[in-house]
Amino acid sequence: MTRGLLHRAATALAVVLPLALLTGCAGGDNAKTTLTVATYGEFGYEPLFAEYEATHPGIEVKSRVTDFDSHHRGLATQLAAGHGAADVVAVEEQYLPLFRQSADKFVNLAEFGALDLRGQWVPWKWEQGVTDGGRVVLGLGTDMGGLAMCYRRDLFARANLPTDRAEVAALWPTWEDFARVADRFSAAVTDAKFADSAGTIYAAILNQAEENYFAKSDDSFSADRNPNVRRAFDIAGGIGAKGQTARVTTYTQPWTVAIKQGAFATIACPAWLLKQIEDAGGAENAGKWDVTTVPGNAGNQGGSFLTLPRQGAHHREAYDLAAWLTAPAQQKRLFLRDGILPSQPAVYQDPDVVGSTNAYFSNAPVGQIFARSADTLRPNYRGLRDAEVRPKFGQALGRVEEGKQTLEQAWAQALQQASDAVR
Amino acid sequence: MVLAWAARLAAPARRQRRVVLLARLDARATPLLFVAPFFVLFAVFGVFPLAYTAWISLHDWQLVNGDQGFVGLANYAALFTDPHFYNALGNTVSMLVLATVPQLFAGLGIAALLNRPLRTAVFWRAGVLLPNAVSVVAVTLVFAQLFGRDFGVANWVLDQLGVPPVDWQANRLAAHLAVAATVTWRWTGYNALLYLAAMQSVDQELYEAAELDGASRWRAFWAVTVPAIRPTIGFTAFSATVGGLQLFVEPQLFDVSGLGGIGGTDRQFQTITMYLYEKGFGVFDAGYAAAIAWVLALLCGGCVLVGLGLVRRLARRGRL
Repeated sequence: MTRGLLHRAATALAVVLPLALLTGCAGGDNAKTTLTVATYGEFGYEPLFAEYEATHPGIEVKSRVTDFDSHHRGLATQLAAGHGAADVVAVEEQYLPLFRQSADKFVNLAEFGALDLRGQWVPWKWEQGVTDGGRVVLGLGTDMGGLAMCYRRDLFARANLPTDRAEVAALWPTWEDFARVADRFSAAVTDAKFADSAGTIYAAILNQAEENYFAKSDDSFSADRNPNVRRAFDIAGGIGAKGQTARVTTYTQPWTVAIKQGAFATIACPAWLLKQIEDAGGAENAGKWDVTTVPGNAGNQGGSFLTLPRQGAHHREAYDLAAWLTAPAQQKRLFLRDGILPSQPAVYQDPDVVGSTNAYFSNAPVGQIFARSADTLRPNYRGLRDAEVRPKFGQALGRVEEGKQTLEQAWAQALQQASDAVR
Repeated sequence: MVLAWAARLAAPARRQRRVVLLARLDARATPLLFVAPFFVLFAVFGVFPLAYTAWISLHDWQLVNGDQGFVGLANYAALFTDPHFYNALGNTVSMLVLATVPQLFAGLGIAALLNRPLRTAVFWRAGVLLPNAVSVVAVTLVFAQLFGRDFGVANWVLDQLGVPPVDWQANRLAAHLAVAATVTWRWTGYNALLYLAAMQSVDQELYEAAELDGASRWRAFWAVTVPAIRPTIGFTAFSATVGGLQLFVEPQLFDVSGLGGIGGTDRQFQTITMYLYEKGFGVFDAGYAAAIAWVLALLCGGCVLVGLGLVRRLARRGRL
């Protein structure tokens, strides 16, 4: 009896097991090519991946998302080790100069015909992604960070400042005017600060200048003789020294809390920041924010590129995917759904894009504001060693806000550290 | 064993001599084969990285682009004149002392409490180890919020006591204290358990004798318990020092800028390992970072030697 049962069980197993193995094999279709796409933060790509898989049966797309710093430092170690990198990797413009020095570790996208796509992007965006006189294409542009100014209508009203977009914009044609509005605001409102941090203001002002820390002509360190750097430092540091900033760093937990509690009234906001403010502020702050023109009219902050590390196994397939993700049709959808600003004129001048408004930000005509910002943009030149120098000035402004140093001391120390770093 | 089996197959004529030879080889080689995995792993994951790091530190080596040429000891020469390195060294030692001393004393106290008859003793004993089992990143992020400038609990408590709020990240000493608090919270229980284990093997007769002599509980603790568990105290002080020299996650994440941070706006709480990370993975200067790594390793080695010397001296004087 027992033996019979055992025997039958064994027979059943003998039949079922191979079947299970067979179906298991059928499930793992070997013909499929798996492409990994590594991004950070918000790219809004997930639905696009699903669609791409549906229209390209042989392709499976895997997404790998990490935070900003881990993503780029991880890429550096993967490039150094020769393996581990995704097939398609996003690189932010701030890190681009660092990786441009290792262009041989990336696929030259010109080999796959990227040069024919050139006309899609605004010229400066395209230029950022190429090297070697334009012959080597390192990356295809994704979004850009067209700059506007986000402000709290309720806090402006409490300070007896105008709340209407056009009137607010008229308050600050220049950054010097912006600093004067900061004084007016701070005189009237004591339980909220005028801006988030001196660092944000500084970056916004500096990015409007054509040259920052390095001369466009010969890539020499020029922070000490470029008046634009000093001007940005003085205006932003002045606002910080007067205690008119909430002293919170973008993306950090204190920043999120400050947004939620309405601890500051303005923040220079690249297009991609709107979603972050909305997430941080939550439903209870809907309609309290608005968006208007930034002092100096335009600017750019951030924006990424899709690159292909050479170590990947499927260059052709990865290129097709990257080209599809950055194509005008997809860029338009990313803007309409997630507010990710396109870097292609045909898209940001598209009537659907220009006509779009943002309900969370008091129905501000964000499409129009950011498109105008993009059109009047003067792209700035970033030296090869920009990433080594840039943080020193942000830290210096932090010391001014903390009251540890005067503007003059902080500037001297930052300049010293920066020139030591590039020596 | 393998060799013994092989020996059995040998031709019968010279069998006798072979067996003797192989048996001797067996006795010599087999133990070595058994311990070999450790040494192979140690060579691959211990010796090789050390040697390779030393090799990198002698070059101008960029993280992504690799070797840019041999520079000899130039990285070390630059390091020894680098004020940021000495700043990091000072911060590391400061946080090491601030974290280790309370950690060991609190551990002793908790162990003494746990060593008394307790209800649900297992619960309490397992409980003190809990902070050590929680992810260090999670612990650090929570402590960074507790020590927040605007909405932190620590400042709220100070406010209730009428003390003005502290800018924990900006102030050097305050930052060191906050980081030390994080480290202490994580490791006190671990040390307490080690002490407890040692305390339980202390001869009960010593306590009885002390009691007969009229010693108070307090006196017995310092005169009997502490001397008896001195080797364990030595070990914990030792491992806390080496661990403290390599302090990284707690201070790095205490900086609101996260991985991009340099320990505050003026490196006020940047440790040696953080400086290594900034150089190696922030600006991709692997050669310089490798030099820092080696200097740090030598520092740890120096501490170990000094510690061993102390232990030996104590042992010779019959104290251990």
